[in-house]
Amino acid sequence: MAVEVKVFQFNGCNKCFTESILLKLDSEDKVTYIENPKGWKEEKTDIAVITGYLLPEDGKILESITKNSKKVIGYGDCVTMGGIFALANQNGHKITPLKEFIDNASSINGCLGEIMELNQEIKGKSPVKLKGLCTVCKRKSTCDYMEAVHRQIEFEESDVCFNDLGYQCNGFVAQECKERCIDYDAPCRGCKPMVARSGIRMLGMFGTLMGNIEVATEHSVKGATDKLADEDDDITRSVPDVLGNFFRFTLPTSGLPQGRIPSTGSVLEDVFTGRLIEELPLIAGLLAGNKSISLVLNILEAYETGTKMEVGSCTKKIRKHLRKLEGDLGKATESQDAQQYKEITEKIRKIAGNMNLSNLFFGGFRSKITEYDNFDEYKAHPFDVVEGSYAHGCVEYKIDSDGKVTDFKIKEEAL
Amino acid sequence: MTSSEVGDFCDPMDAEIKAKIKNLVVFMCNECGQGAANTAGVARMGYDAAIRIVRVQCSGQVGPIQIMDALNNGADAVGVVGCCLGACHFFNGNILSMHRIKLMKKLFKELGYSDQFVNQWTARAAEGETSVGDFEDMVDRLAVAIKNKGTIKDGC
Repeated sequence: MAVEVKVFQFNGCNKCFTESILLKLDSEDKVTYIENPKGWKEEKTDIAVITGYLLPEDGKILESITKNSKKVIGYGDCVTMGGIFALANQNGHKITPLKEFIDNASSINGCLGEIMELNQEIKGKSPVKLKGLCTVCKRKSTCDYMEAVHRQIEFEESDVCFNDLGYQCNGFVAQECKERCIDYDAPCRGCKPMVARSGIRMLGMFGTLMGNIEVATEHSVKGATDKLADEDDDITRSVPDVLGNFFRFTLPTSGLPQGRIPSTGSVLEDVFTGRLIEELPLIAGLLAGNKSISLVLNILEAYETGTKMEVGSCTKKIRKHLRKLEGDLGKATESQDAQQYKEITEKIRKIAGNMNLSNLFFGGFRSKITEYDNFDEYKAHPFDVVEGSYAHGCVEYKIDSDGKVTDFKIKEEAL
Repeated sequence: MTSSEVGDFCDPMDAEIKAKIKNLVVFMCNECGQGAANTAGVARMGYDAAIRIVRVQCSGQVGPIQIMDALNNGADAVGVVGCCLGACHFFNGNILSMHRIKLMKKLFKELGYSDQFVNQWTARAAEGETSVGDFEDMVDRLAVAIKNKGTIKDGC
């Protein structure tokens, strides 16, 4: 039976909103897209799909949407858990998950949310049972404590579990997903959690895995015994950004207190500030919607030109092709052509791995694009962190000696 | 920050701050931690009335989940007391929980709070004064955090 579906785009990235164009494929449902819910004339509908992150002031519109629809579905991490934008809650922003506004809304987690699951939910079918990400991961676990924590700047090819090697991966607490960053040598950041408060659980797990790394202790004068020291040690130095790595998508639902770091005023800039240089491409790929390819490439090229990193001609050629695909995707979205949208995204997925562009990295690509390529021509190489400020196109950022972003400027109109 | 610095910075007898310290949850391991508290009890040593002891089998059972549950349910600070270094009665539970708590402390700093309201100490079962000293240190550190408005309850 055909149902009436209305898709609402609230704040932030519009990746899930544009992905919902696929609802039109092979379906009799009447789907309408509302890009600006504030100007929406209240109409009755069967199903309301909410995308984009929510702020407390959106409560009124959400109330009228709930009143006018039989079922509300939150689609994508930004709605269900705060998503990547909620990292700005570290700086006092109040990005709120949907369940704090509406009690009985169903949610489809994931960044990007999976269209098949949304389709199932619209049709009222029971959700597909998903396995844990580790059970479908190609890498093998050794179950040993790690010897040292590594950062992705020193990446090496291997088929051993990321966490065993010392690269922090949230796969333990994640469900299998379509995006599968792990297939493109990018550790999972847990956009589709399997358990409640996944970030906190993963933090405890990773702390345990770090068991072989020395922790600083000091003499306690009052107790006349030892205690955990306050000073920086190998533990804190090797995980420079706890919040950005463990709570990337789940900060408002993790039970942690509201952050009190002074804000720069812009949500987008706050999300990037404090993150690590090697995480920037993936973060940019997650949050820039239909402009994510150009944002990622601008960030990469800024650093590459600034540090005079060698980039092969093959890499440049593939990147140029990606920029062109981004333009085509924009056109397909504008004309609401679902078939064309599907074809172009498939092409992007083939090169960039997934719609979060996990395969793009400094100096080239993380994994092989096709079997017959000469991978050496476009492979990403390990690189050094160089303190300084970098700019290219619409982005400008400064990084400190640890590789942490201290200042991030983005011309949002260029997005 | 060393204990002497804590002493210089904040007078533990500051009545206003003292009145704000109501619930200080301490997870104590069943072996050395709880043993030291028992010894202190036998010797009739006094300690702050805000201390709430939760007995756990090993300090290695305590992690971010337990700490956040305590803080979200009204604790002003959370302390963990385990066996001395190298003397865990199981294998190395006290060291493992230290790793987790160190990450928690870093997390609170990243969110803009003090890291003084979560920490781990050790105690010796035969010496009650070690656990009483740990409790005093916990109260002093929480007092500093409150004075700097660094606690989650913002001054409790």
